[in-house]
This record gives sequence, C-alpha cells and structure tokens, in this order.
Amino acid sequence: MTAARLSPQAGRMLVALGLAALLGVGADQLAAIASRRLPRPHPLEELSYYPSGQRLEPATLGHAETVADLAWLRAVQYYGEHSRTDMRFANLYHVFDILTSLSPHFIPAYVFGSFALAQEGNEFGHAEALMLKGIEANPTSGRLAFELGFLYYVRPGGRELRHAGEYFERAARLPDGPTSSRRFAAYVRQNAGDLAVAWALWRDVAQNSDNRYLREMAEREMRRIRRAQRTGRAELARNRVTTPVVLFERNH
Amino acid sequence: MTVALIARNTFREATRDRVLAGVVIAGVLLILATQPLSPLALGEGQRLTIDLGLTGISFFGLLIVLLVGTSLVAKEIERRTIFNLLSRPISRPAYLVGKWLGLSGALWVVAGVLGLALWLLLVARGLASHGPAVLEAAYLAGLELTVVTALAVLFSALSTPVLSALYTLGFYCVGQWSWDLREFAHHFPAALGSTLAVVADVVPNLPIFNMRALAAHGEVTTLFHLGLATVYAVVYSGCVLGLAAAAFESRDFK
Amino acid sequence: MQSSIPRPTGRSVSGQSAATEVSTPAVRTVGLAKSYRHPWTGKVVTGLEALDLEVVRGEVMGYLGPNGAGKTTTLKLLTGLLKPTRGEAWLLGESITQVASRRRLGFLPEQPYFYEYLNALEYLEMAGQLSGLGAHDAHGRAQRWLGRVGLGERPGLILRKYSKGMLQRLGLAAALLHEPDLLILDEPMSGLDPFGRRDVRDLILEQRERGTTVLFSSHILPDVEVLCDRVAIILNGRLSRVATVGDLVRGSRQQVEIRCTGVRPLEIVPELRDVVRRHDHPNETDFLLDDDTRLDETLAWLLRHGAQIRAVTPQRATLEELFLATAGGTVAEPSHQERKSA
Repeated sequence: MTAARLSPQAGRMLVALGLAALLGVGADQLAAIASRRLPRPHPLEELSYYPSGQRLEPATLGHAETVADLAWLRAVQYYGEHSRTDMRFANLYHVFDILTSLSPHFIPAYVFGSFALAQEGNEFGHAEALMLKGIEANPTSGRLAFELGFLYYVRPGGRELRHAGEYFERAARLPDGPTSSRRFAAYVRQNAGDLAVAWALWRDVAQNSDNRYLREMAEREMRRIRRAQRTGRAELARNRVTTPVVLFERNH
Repeated sequence: MTVALIARNTFREATRDRVLAGVVIAGVLLILATQPLSPLALGEGQRLTIDLGLTGISFFGLLIVLLVGTSLVAKEIERRTIFNLLSRPISRPAYLVGKWLGLSGALWVVAGVLGLALWLLLVARGLASHGPAVLEAAYLAGLELTVVTALAVLFSALSTPVLSALYTLGFYCVGQWSWDLREFAHHFPAALGSTLAVVADVVPNLPIFNMRALAAHGEVTTLFHLGLATVYAVVYSGCVLGLAAAAFESRDFK
Repeated sequence: MQSSIPRPTGRSVSGQSAATEVSTPAVRTVGLAKSYRHPWTGKVVTGLEALDLEVVRGEVMGYLGPNGAGKTTTLKLLTGLLKPTRGEAWLLGESITQVASRRRLGFLPEQPYFYEYLNALEYLEMAGQLSGLGAHDAHGRAQRWLGRVGLGERPGLILRKYSKGMLQRLGLAAALLHEPDLLILDEPMSGLDPFGRRDVRDLILEQRERGTTVLFSSHILPDVEVLCDRVAIILNGRLSRVATVGDLVRGSRQQVEIRCTGVRPLEIVPELRDVVRRHDHPNETDFLLDDDTRLDETLAWLLRHGAQIRAVTPQRATLEELFLATAGGTVAEPSHQERKSA
C-alpha cells in the first residue's frame, strides 16, 4: 500500500462511515420533524389508571422511592406541558396521590402538587386533601404545616384565615418551621379578629427576634391591637389585604 | 443472497433459543393477567389491558434484544463460530446486516404473536373495534425493536455481551427521553444546551414509536406518523449498521 | 468415496486463463506481517515477521512450528480473520484484501465451533450456499459429505450434542463441501483418534489426487512426513526453513543398526571406534554404525570374530528429530529407541 493509495479495507471503512454520516443526518432531520409534528406521548397515562399507590407499591419490588422519583419527574413534565397549553390538569391529583403514597415523606411533592392543584387546576379541595395527607404522614414537619397555612391564606376566592393561623402557629412550634411562622401566625390571627392570640404572638416576636426592625414592627402591631381592644373596634387592628390570583409566574 | 442466508440462520437460531420461547410465554401470560387485574382499575380495565399488553410487547421485546441480541456477534466471536463464516466469501457488512435482519425478524414474530394475543383478548371482551389501533401500536413497537436491535448489533460487534447489554439499555432509556432532551436544550446555557441537543440527536428518538396513549382509547394514528416512523427506523438503523460495519472492518479475530 | 470433479477450465474469477492459473502459486505472501499494539502501554508484540512464502498449485505443504510460533496467525491472515499490519498476500491469484480470494478456499480452523441449535445437515447446507453453491446442490453435497466423514447416521442431531471429534469431522466436511481449489487446515488431526486421523490423511491424499492445494499446520509430525511434499518451519514469528521432506531427512546421515549374538567378549577395534557404538542386551547385542558407508567393513569384522548376525536395519532421522533440532538450535543425537526404522 502506498501513501497515496488507500487499502481496500480503509476504503471500505470510509464508505461505511460516509454512509453512516449521511443516514445519521437524515435520521436527525426526521426526528426533528417528528418531535415538532407528532403528538407527544402523554407522560402520565401509564400511571393514571392505577387505583392507588398502596396497590402499586408491591409491584415496585422494593423500589417504591425510585418509582416515586420517576413519577415525580413525569408529574413535573405533565404540569409544564399543560400549563403552557390547555391549563387542564385532569390527572394531577391522582398522580400526586399515588406518588405520595409510594413516598410518604416526599415533602416537595405535597407542596408542589397542592399549589399546582389550587392555583392552576382550581381544585382547592384536592389540594387541601393532599396537604392534610402530608401532615398526617409527617406530623413533625414544620415546613408542611407552614405551607398548608399559606395555602389557606392564599386560597383563591376567599382566604381561610383561622385555619391559616392554626397551621402557622403549629409551624412555629415545630423545629423545622420557618422563623417567619410566628409573624405569619400573628398577622393572620390579627386579621381574623383573634386579637388576644395575635397580641401574644407579636409579643413573642418582639421579645425574641434578632431583627430590630421586626421587633419595632411587632411592638407597633401590639399597640394597634391594644387600641382596638380598648375601643372595641376590631377593624382598627385589621390590615388591608388582597386576594392573590397568581401564585406562579408563567414563563412564555 | 449472503445477507439472506445469514439472516435465515440467525432467525433460526433465535427462534430455537429457549429464551425467546420463555419470553413469549411470559408476554402472553402478562396479557392474560390483565383480566384478573381489570376490576381493580375502577372502570379502566380496557385501558389497563391495552396499555399493559402494548407495554409487554415493548418490554419483552427489549428483554430479548438484551439477552439474545447483545451477544449476537460477541458470542460468535467468543465461541469462534464466526471463523467458519468470515473465512468464506462473505463481506463483514453483509454479515452484520444479516445478523440484524435475522434477529429483527424474530422480534417481529414476537410482536406479532403478542399483538395477536392481545387482539384476541380484546375481541373476547367485545372490543374488536380497538383492533386497528392495537395493530398500529404493535407495528410501531416492532419498528422500535428493530432500531434497538441495530444498536445491539453495533455494541455486540465492539464489546462483550454484558457491556453490550448495558450500552444498549442505556441508549434505550435515554432514547425514551430524547424529545424532552431536545426541549431542555433550549432552556439551558449554550454549552450544556448544545450537549443535550447532540445527545438528543445521537440517541434513537423512541417517542416516535409510542402511540400507546392513543391505542388505549382505541384511536388510530395518522398515515404520516406511521410512514415517518417507518422511514426513521430504516434510516437510523442504517446509520447504526454503517458505524458497525466501519468498526467491524478492522476487527481482528484472534 | 472418490470424487470425480472436473478440473477448472476457462477463466477463473480473477479473469486468468487456465494456463496462467496453473502457473500462479496457490498461496503467495510478500512481507506479510502482523503485530499487536497494547492499547494502554503501547507495547508492540510481533505475531509474524515479514513472511515470504509460496505454495505451489497442487502441492501439500506442512506448516510446522512450536506453540506460539505464528502458524495460526499466518493461516488467519490468509483467510481474512486477521488484518495484516504490513505486506501482501494472494490466494489463487486474488489479493486477500478482496472477498473473492475466499471463493475457492476451504478453511478448517483449529478446534472449530458451530451453531449449537443447528443440526449437521442445516449447517453444511448453509456453509455450502455461503461458498456459492445453489440450495439444491448444497443439500445433495451436504448429505454425501456427512456420510463421507462418518456423520451420516444422525443428520438431524443438533450440534450441541456433538463430541469434539465429531465437530472436527464436520468442520472438514464444511471445508470440502464446495470442492475448493485451496485447502487451509489448522491442526486438522486435532481431537481425532487414530482411526479419525487415518480418515483425514486419506481425505488429504484424495484432495491431492484431485489437484487441490493443501496447506496445513500440525503437531503430529509422522502425518506431515507421510502427506507433505514440502514443509515450512516457522519459529518465533519468522520463517526458518522451507524444504521437501526428502531434502530435510536426506541431509542427515543414515545410521545402521546391526543386531547379533555371540559377541559378548568382543572389543571394538580402534579403526571403528569413531563410528560404532555398542548396546548390550540380555540375549543379544546391538552395534550402531553412524556411517553407512562403512557397513561392509563392520560386518566383515563381526563375522571374522564369530558374531551371529541377526538383523541389519538402516535408521534415518525422523522429521520430528529434525524439527526439534531446528527449533532447538542444536543437532540432536537421537537415542537408539527413538530412531525410526526406515
């Protein structure tokens, strides 16, 4: 074999590689067309007819958490797809119910699922049920308690301040509850008209907060509550609030 | 002629392998098992039957590819049966294409048998109208297996049976996510996005072959879909086999 | 079964005329070499160094060498299973880089393996068709050859149940089925009992009668001695020697063994001490004469001293001894028992 002439073997290799390259480009083009024009397989179809997570759990052969993870990925995809298109989330509650049955301590699943159901899917009842299920399975989760309080607080169509206050207080008592829980509790109790409870919660903030401005704010609210209690006019203690309608910003 | 001979021999060997028979039996049993499970599906028994049945075709077909296909060439090299073939006047690309055709043929038989079992079950349940959709879905599943078999032949020509199975399975899994990867590529910074886009181009775009959701409702797909999937399967398989042929050309059989 | 297959006429695959074909060597290599580079260390190991070899049409050539010498490497390079690092080779005038070079080739690899789930008939039919036979022709020949190699009684038995010897016979049948003009056999006697080896010898002789060129490697040197026109010896990847068997053994001096009785007290005379050695046995004595040109002189001396001559037997060096001498780099003096009777 001279330097200027390819061996037959090298020639055959080059032909094969050339053909592969040509066909590869063709395949890529076809795939791009398909991904644009063909209906996407629905990521949750295979889960949506399982009756419950408990029934599914034996089939996971000890890998319930992994299956839950995969279901989580699919759920996020499902949410993303429908939030960009028809805003219909028919199977969302069912899937999150299965997911959280397979993985009862998967806190983010309760949080994301509930808020997506409440805000995007207009299924507050399902959202509440999911969150309560989470709290039952995770009674010491301050985070879940806080999030449920927040869910009640931002409930579309009408806040549930009493319930919000209850859960904010609960979060405040639990070790992993956010530090803002007590303030949130005080705030909503105050707006719900529970002035005595609110005053006690603000006093706690005034005495224990590291933040000077928060202490000043707490003392200010305490004085407003005392004024309302002395005059018998609870509205003096309430703050103006608006009902939020958008929880998540959509990225178009 | 040579390709046909090798394909026929490979088909014969695959269909005489007990693994294939065992897998087909398991697939039929799964399809039949959907019936006792149906009442648990709270009125969705029909979807359960069709979806599990079609998933069974894909799953068991993949199992055959991993158990049989990935050792198709590697085992011949290890056991030296390849000496008897390549010392005859046959080209190495013809050998690989014959291997691919033979096993693909066996897998089409598996898809056909399981698809027929599923259809018969649906007829027994009074759902004969779902036949065309199930047929189309089984056809697409067969195309998917043909593509995965090409990958198995490529890896089998380059590596050991175990590694070939792992690589094939890896490509299969990532291939199922290929459309998502294409989408994600747009939302990430340039370097990562480009990488994801390349990966999405390289792996087989398997969602093309997935119409299980439609079939579960008895809905047929378009001729455009079927045609596009067919052409893609042939073109992608051809690309993979071309790579296999190039790599195999310089392979020494010690 | 004697095959009556007509010799090739007209043009060959490569377009050569019959006359040109006869003059073209069956196998020709020029600088054919194979080396392996370790993928991690980069170390290069040489399997075969620059082989220049020609195998004449119609001859039977033995390819000898110790284990690891490069015999199988050579045969696999010729049959396309290994790619050469350097050099070129031709089979029946066709370059080994072309698929066509294997069209008239029959190859038996060492310790052949076959598809477990086929039976012998199916395998031979496939082998025949892959070598260019039509389906009907392949079927007929497959049946005949199964019988010819002693496997005809159970053609439907799957190959997974075949013994090593049966597989070797099947491999031979597959190599011969399409009546190749060139046979390359790697250890064809391997795994066979003496009856099997005899059958293979007969097959090779039959092919030689037919005009087929045979190149085979073997460790069983007595068979090589019987079958081969020429022998090539390869050592450490390099061709050491190519010669006829006759030239190889003729080069060695012939010894003669004289067996006699009645010579117990006899001393060897000084003029014969350099060429005669004595071995005493309980009932007789052997005198080994290294130089057969002094046989008359030695016999006369023995007869003069009253010896009773029982036998005079010429002894020549075996191929094995010559091979060992060549391979070991020393001239080995064979023992009395190792010498083969001519």
